[in-house]
Amino acid sequence: MARRYDSRTTIFSPEGRLYQIEYAMEAISHAGTVLGVLAKDGIVLAAEKKVTGKLLDLSSVKEGGYGGSGEKIFLLNSNVVAGVAGITADANSLVNFARQAAQRHLYLYNEDIPVELLAQRLCDMKQGYTQYGGLRPFGVSLLYAGYDPHYNFQLYHSDPSGNYSGWKATCIGANNGTATSLLKQEYKDDITIEEAIKLVLSVMSKTMDSTTLGSEKLEFATLTLDPTTKKPKAKIYRPSEVDELLQEQGLAKKEEDDKSA
Amino acid sequence: MNSLVSRFSTTGPIAELRKAKEVLGDDDEFSDAVWGSEAGFGSLANGVPKFSIPQVPDPSAFLRLHTDDHSDPSCRIKIKHGTTTLAFRFQGGVIVAVDSRASAGSYVASGTVKKVIEINPYLLGTMAGGAADCQYWETYLGIQCRLHELRNRERISVAAASKYLSNLVYSYKGMGLSMGTMICGWDKTGPAVFYVDSDGTRLKGDLFSVGSGSTFAYGVLDQGYRWDLTDEEAQELGRRSIYAAGHRDAYSGNTINLYHVKEDGWKFIGNYDVSKMHYEGPNGVGYGYDIRTEGRSSANPPATQ
Amino acid sequence: MECSFAITGKGYVIVAADTTAAHSIIKVKLDEDKIKTLSPHLLMAYSGEPGDTVQFAEYIERNIRLYQIRNTYPLRPSSAASWIRRALADSLRSRKPYSVNLLLGGYDTSTYTPHLYWIDYLGTLTEVPFGAHGYGSYFALSLLDRYHDPEASLEEGLATLKRCIDEVSKRLLVAPGRYKVKVVDKDGVREVEI
Repeated sequence: MARRYDSRTTIFSPEGRLYQIEYAMEAISHAGTVLGVLAKDGIVLAAEKKVTGKLLDLSSVKEGGYGGSGEKIFLLNSNVVAGVAGITADANSLVNFARQAAQRHLYLYNEDIPVELLAQRLCDMKQGYTQYGGLRPFGVSLLYAGYDPHYNFQLYHSDPSGNYSGWKATCIGANNGTATSLLKQEYKDDITIEEAIKLVLSVMSKTMDSTTLGSEKLEFATLTLDPTTKKPKAKIYRPSEVDELLQEQGLAKKEEDDKSA
Repeated sequence: MNSLVSRFSTTGPIAELRKAKEVLGDDDEFSDAVWGSEAGFGSLANGVPKFSIPQVPDPSAFLRLHTDDHSDPSCRIKIKHGTTTLAFRFQGGVIVAVDSRASAGSYVASGTVKKVIEINPYLLGTMAGGAADCQYWETYLGIQCRLHELRNRERISVAAASKYLSNLVYSYKGMGLSMGTMICGWDKTGPAVFYVDSDGTRLKGDLFSVGSGSTFAYGVLDQGYRWDLTDEEAQELGRRSIYAAGHRDAYSGNTINLYHVKEDGWKFIGNYDVSKMHYEGPNGVGYGYDIRTEGRSSANPPATQ
Repeated sequence: MECSFAITGKGYVIVAADTTAAHSIIKVKLDEDKIKTLSPHLLMAYSGEPGDTVQFAEYIERNIRLYQIRNTYPLRPSSAASWIRRALADSLRSRKPYSVNLLLGGYDTSTYTPHLYWIDYLGTLTEVPFGAHGYGSYFALSLLDRYHDPEASLEEGLATLKRCIDEVSKRLLVAPGRYKVKVVDKDGVREVEI
């Protein structure tokens, strides 16, 4: 029965479902976890990198760029960082679109795009692929960590259907159910950025498959306000900085683990 | 004989032109060298001054053709037009303040022009419009004022001096003179200011400003003006008003020259750099808007912030 | 002749524009409102080519409103100014450009700051503490250089505006007779008598 309705995104099933969208969401729930926590003075994003292997050449992501290894966490605009879960190739296309949308807003209005507006722009595009024939939807969910003067720090989530919603703390990808319930227990309003970093790392360490955390499995970013300029400042941690952070928090793997890994 | 008679007669401009042509034509006793050596008044020994005039049928049209940058912006001779000058009467005498920029078109030809012409110790004239016209005719006016003094054993009144100049420029009306001047001084009637221009307008008044920057000067001058200003307040008002024009008008600026006319004649108060006035003012407090309002903000965040 | 002024003060912007609509030597209307309220905290005074002015102002008004409907919050003054400038700059390079000069006064509720933008028909945009268009500017700008205070109370601000209007009435041959004056501050837009 399902086969008649799931080969096209544009066709409803008799039960009123769009199977392709649901399959896309299913794909995401197997992807690397992305976790976001909103603090009163900033936002924390962390992402688990799924596919790694000894032979993968990571030498190019150690230095340069704006930080990070560029697989899960991206800078969309100076005021928005996004974490992606799903098909990486689709995500790259969406990130490119988001960056263009942000620049277009800057061109027209001479201001950083408001976070919700950027989420809307992407969702308008995602929604289009649930309706126009012959195309598959984007297999990507995103977490947007952003700042604008209207609502200060904000955390949004968008899924392949083009829905988006705002969160205090949320999680997408594998084990998101466990992570979300952990966050529910641990999250307090008026949490500071330092507490949020701790929370994110502790949740990540509990939900990730591997027992120890390391920069080859984890991407990490914060968005805060620069104390002097009062402008948003995104920091996407370099692999070395991630390891340093884990060391500080006492979550780094031990020497012998490193050898055995 | 004919030429002798005509040389000593003072009549209208057409006669003047005809005379000039005759002089240049048949008896060329006033060479250009004579003009220079006698400070431009070499012809004075022979009565009214005469000029070298282009040998064309209509000299004033010829002049206009080469100097009117309104109809032809590419004309070869651009007569100095941009200026700010002001003068006002008050309880303590007359304040005269001017800028010092000479512009020819968009070119700043000089920044150290003396736009106050010291006609005699009791009379000042200001310069706006054609620099040469003002300089020449106001110096000439000075000569006539001195002659009046010698003949009548008393100083000429400001009213009379300004009337003399007004009549003189009126006789040249339509021939390309460009002057906008204020004749200021102190006579038996007290402080006096007259506005005289090359159209032939002559006005008695308390407060005038002339030149491309005059509107900007008026903006400050009108708002700060009172008859019972003290000497210091009045000098400050004159200086501040010229600064305003020097700041806002591209054709005015560089420096300010300030004069004060009292019962015992005029006194030069000082020369002030407009940029220096902007940042430091005459006594440490800059006139500049940004300098004056530094640190002041129009934001009104709530007290809790 | 058309005159408009605007000045900022502590937490507000005052925008004033003359109210005459002229055609050749005739005053056709004496109480024309040339200041539009674009959003709850945004005012725009417009002047220039008859016909263009109202057409352009309404085009801006509708688009600013559309943004507000789409995004639930209105454009901030700086962004609105940038957008309007762009509209004029694009218009200038079209077959039939709008000849409209603007003063845009707004209060940014997110930073608690009043903003004033001076925009001309060529697409020049500049943020100023005070501004003017028309012949009145030749008298008012030097006056405001001397008397304007960014921290003035509304009463003091209106008194300074009165100085400008009085000076123009005194010196400008073609001075307008009446002005409409509007204020925008944290509480929004309102008209005041002067």
